[in-house]
Amino acid sequence: MNPFALIIIMLTVVLGTLIVMTSSHWLMVWIGFEMNMLAIIPILMKKYNPRSMEACTKYFLTQATASMLLMLAITINLVHSGQWSTMKPLDPTASIVMTLAMAMKLGLAPFHFWVPEVAQGIQLSSGLILLTWQKLAPMSILYQISPTINSTLILTLSILSVAVGGWGGLNQTQLRKIMAYSSIAHMGWMTAAMMFSPMMALLNLVIYIILTTTTLMMFMMNSTTTTLSLSHTWNKTPLLTTAILATLLSLGGLPPLSGFLPKWMIIQELTKNDNIILPTFMVITALLNLFFYMRLTYSTSLTTFPSTNNMKLKWQLNPTKTTIYLPPLIILSTLILPLSPMLILLE
Amino acid sequence: MTYIVFILSTMFVVGFLGFSSKPSPIYGGVGLIVSGGVGCGIVMNFDGSFLGLMVFLIYLGGMMVVFGYTTAMATELYPEVWVSNKAVLGGLVVGLVMELMLVYYVLGEVHGDVVIEFSDLGDWVVYDMEDYGFVNSEAVGVSSLYSYGAWLIIVTGWSLFVGVVVIMEITRGG
Repeated sequence: MNPFALIIIMLTVVLGTLIVMTSSHWLMVWIGFEMNMLAIIPILMKKYNPRSMEACTKYFLTQATASMLLMLAITINLVHSGQWSTMKPLDPTASIVMTLAMAMKLGLAPFHFWVPEVAQGIQLSSGLILLTWQKLAPMSILYQISPTINSTLILTLSILSVAVGGWGGLNQTQLRKIMAYSSIAHMGWMTAAMMFSPMMALLNLVIYIILTTTTLMMFMMNSTTTTLSLSHTWNKTPLLTTAILATLLSLGGLPPLSGFLPKWMIIQELTKNDNIILPTFMVITALLNLFFYMRLTYSTSLTTFPSTNNMKLKWQLNPTKTTIYLPPLIILSTLILPLSPMLILLE
Repeated sequence: MTYIVFILSTMFVVGFLGFSSKPSPIYGGVGLIVSGGVGCGIVMNFDGSFLGLMVFLIYLGGMMVVFGYTTAMATELYPEVWVSNKAVLGGLVVGLVMELMLVYYVLGEVHGDVVIEFSDLGDWVVYDMEDYGFVNSEAVGVSSLYSYGAWLIIVTGWSLFVGVVVIMEITRGG
């Protein structure tokens, strides 16, 4: 892409999200979402083949529908309260419609069908932006309206999402689809936390973004998109196999890695509010997630499949791909659990 | 005259129904012209004479013309019309039935004030307490867009510019 156009488009993606996060007028929030969606379409379409055009079309249609639902919610709120301020509590009907709009934007079940298909049709770097940066704006809106969210609705979305994210990812070998189902499941955890403690939802969002960025950057290093090519990592970049092991287990939520911190905090908040069945169900479906991460680590780091002897020697050329920030990201995504007492600062 | 806004808004929705069941894009042009004209009428019923003129000039006369030319370039040999298959006809009929049910609901309720309440008093009733003196409140609104709403102008201007860049990038990039 022309570098000048790329700078303008990237700037607009960032600007759209910032406008959503910092506006006090609901119309500006809607404008921010539309700017974000418009500008991310060429980023999703880096390669000009019918598959990526189909992915862009699916993304555009679902996000435009979600923006229209947001506009409906804003209008309902305007009719009932007569003002456009985001600081005031939302009318209950407007809150329900807005929650559904944000659920469509995030890819929560039952609006999750676009996430694997869009993630599969685009480049890995575009998938990185789709799964991390695009979650910031809808989550900030959910955080702002969290006092008035209908608890039945958000917990239904959350339960369905963790179930779909777990079971949906079981039959996948394509890494981008696995990351898409991982995103659905993590969004389910975040919305469950949003009901009881929005701060823990933000904690989950930050750690999820760090983990997903690390995982996708490790995939980008060798341009692997399938489990099969990931299992050749021992030959191309042997050191990466350890990092993939640690990061994927952290994504699955195993202690003592970082991915355990948000799950622990969310379960603590839920049980403080006398909810026992919900966190039990969420933890059990997180085991499904852990299963397919374990399958990836098994074929990548823990097993070397039989191969002929001359395949064991790869000519080690100088790597040409720059891996920006990957070592600090790996450390952040595995080792920050001992910092959990710092969460006392949130009280 | 009491119900003129309601009638116009019903015609507005029916105009959109013409193309929302997805026949050929040419129907989009016709539907938008009808709905744009009716929308101008709705806006003018709320003291928006300047904005109604803007609808015709900029929306219909600028953006719709471009849309009309692009759909004319994309014509096909056997375009889809309203009666070409059951899906399109079914969508149109379902939309019309839903609109009819909404009209029946609004008019059948005791006072029927869903968004706007019907009142014969018209301009004699003061609906808001904002006093702009002797200046048309619509003119105040449009001019305050450029003073108080400067940030909105910047953001929408940037969005339009990025819209053009994005469209050029998608259609002619690579």
